Amino acid sequence: MTDTPAAHPTDPFDPDALNAAEGLDPVDPAYAQVLRVATALNLVPLAIGASLFDALLIRQIEGPYGLITALAWLIAIVTIITFPSRRVSRWGYRIGAGQLRVARGWLFRTDTIVPFVRVQHIDVGQGPVERWFGLSHLVVHTSGTHNSTVTLPGLHSDLAAAMRETIRRHIQTDFA
Amino acid sequence: MTDTAATAPAVPIIDDDAGWQRLHPATLALAIVKLGPRSLQFLPAVAVLGFTKNWAYIVPAIAAFLLISLLAAWFHWLRFRFRVGDDAVVIESGVLARQHRTIPFDRIQDVSIEQGLVSRALGIAKVGFETGAGGKENDASLDAIALDAAQALRTTIRAHRSDETPAPVAAADTPAAAPVAADRLLFAMTPRQLLVAGLFNFSLAALAVVGAGMQFFDGLLPFDFNVFNPMDWIDIAEDYGLDQWLLAHRWVAGVGAALSLLLIGFASGIATMLFANWNFRLTREPRTLRRTRGLTTRTDVAVPVKRVQAAILVTGWFRQRFGWHELRLQSLASDGEKERDHQVVPFAKLDAIDPVLAEVAIRRPDADQPWQQSHRIVALGPVIGAAGAAIGGGIALYLGNEVGWLGIVAAPVIGLIAVWAARFHRWADLGDQVAIRRGAWKPKTTLLPHASVQSVDLKSDFILRPLGLATLVFGVPGGSALGAHEIPAIPAATARDLRARILTARARP
Repeated sequence: MTDTPAAHPTDPFDPDALNAAEGLDPVDPAYAQVLRVATALNLVPLAIGASLFDALLIRQIEGPYGLITALAWLIAIVTIITFPSRRVSRWGYRIGAGQLRVARGWLFRTDTIVPFVRVQHIDVGQGPVERWFGLSHLVVHTSGTHNSTVTLPGLHSDLAAAMRETIRRHIQTDFA
Repeated sequence: MTDTAATAPAVPIIDDDAGWQRLHPATLALAIVKLGPRSLQFLPAVAVLGFTKNWAYIVPAIAAFLLISLLAAWFHWLRFRFRVGDDAVVIESGVLARQHRTIPFDRIQDVSIEQGLVSRALGIAKVGFETGAGGKENDASLDAIALDAAQALRTTIRAHRSDETPAPVAAADTPAAAPVAADRLLFAMTPRQLLVAGLFNFSLAALAVVGAGMQFFDGLLPFDFNVFNPMDWIDIAEDYGLDQWLLAHRWVAGVGAALSLLLIGFASGIATMLFANWNFRLTREPRTLRRTRGLTTRTDVAVPVKRVQAAILVTGWFRQRFGWHELRLQSLASDGEKERDHQVVPFAKLDAIDPVLAEVAIRRPDADQPWQQSHRIVALGPVIGAAGAAIGGGIALYLGNEVGWLGIVAAPVIGLIAVWAARFHRWADLGDQVAIRRGAWKPKTTLLPHASVQSVDLKSDFILRPLGLATLVFGVPGGSALGAHEIPAIPAATARDLRARILTARARP
């Protein structure tokens, strides 16, 4: 954690390089499917909208009909297929000595550490898509104004429950 | 919470009418006073009646409005009752939808007492209960009860808190000075100090208001004189036969305008300082720092010492030369409606601030404390902004708009100032707390005990990473969400090291 020069991961396109270099565990690869469905739910309506715009307007003004439709669907499909797995590989976490570490993002990378004793309460949540893939997300609440919630998605439901129990044992109730 | 039955078992109510109190009847008088501003909302209706030539209805309409408003206020008063139990305050309110709220004394962090001008005349005060729950609407208040009742209520709640928690952690929290029985005066402001503070509080913010007012009331003022207009000063001179002399000395008009600017700036600075901080007193009570202040609106706020999360020292580029500083404390509770942090010392030299800091177990770095600097890259944002301004100016100029020069001239200045000001992003690790200093125009030093830090973000992005830098962001209770404490752009290894050290700190009780 301290001795590795984390300025550059050796190969930025190797999915495991970043997390491995920083000593983090990857989240469940199935989380890529969850992200994929979520991305699809966002992008497909946009692509449909672009197609409608193309059909209703560009054809009327005799522009290059079909160009926008093709581009929109191409971008949507490429994004849905390629991006989620790369985004998932940027998430990493570590349950360490009395603290939870969550890292995310690459272009803008944030590496958060929350000591267990600072946790106010914990949520384990599961959306419909996550349930489909047997995943859950863990939400840790702190009393800080910044970072009042720290979310770690893409955990196998059993693992999330186990992590909750681990953290719960450390929560001190004498804060207030 | 709205269900009376649900909360009833927690508070055993045997006699339903026992101990219930109403707000002070003078609250109704306060409602009448508040009616003044509110009746402005009614003006459009009056205007409509006037325009439609229904003059006869205006007086009845106003009367009906007043009557309904007063009836509403009276109903509110009638349906509002509260009870101070053994360990909780119970408040029932609402005319149609009833709300029943129980606030345990243990959860009340802070009882504030506030008196406006009218309230002071009536001898009543608004009592606010700060529970630390998120959001303003979650904090209950009694608006208003008699002043002595308010003080008694606060004493009750404080007494409960003191004997309920037998301070196992107090020793670590209050250094050297063991909890003193008597209240000690920590800091007070004399009128003379206020005057000095007011002079340094020079502000041209009021000027904009006055200037706008001058424009707005230009035709309405009995005298036709705009202090900001040099021509008016020339006119005045003509009246006194000075015009011949003045033609040779036009600068006198300019000096006159500048002098009136200065006068307004100083006067508004002194006035705001006097109104806000008249008879400022900060006292140390067994568990809290208590602050009373205000000329027209007097407020009485207590900051529990244990809840103080960080101290913020603010100064200005000019007042710094004279050693004047302002001390704010970041606490779980917020200070009134506008301020997030509690201003506990508005204006003082550092030797007067140090005793206050000692009370909250925070120490100030020495003068010879070595500071580390953030990387110059923190100026990147403003520099990009300046570049944008220059490009925009260039485009405007290209399109034939002379205003474009403004952007082109301003951009290098802004950029240079940003690069220069980047030197003032500094930090130091004092062992059990970090000090973060930033700002050239308004230097601000945050003293953040390691133990207050709830979480730490280590951020890097595509600009910082190639430079081997990272930004540390601290999650600290209280304060505003926008003003998170951060140390920007420091070497990544240093940042990781500092993070590890901070997170091993023992929890601040």
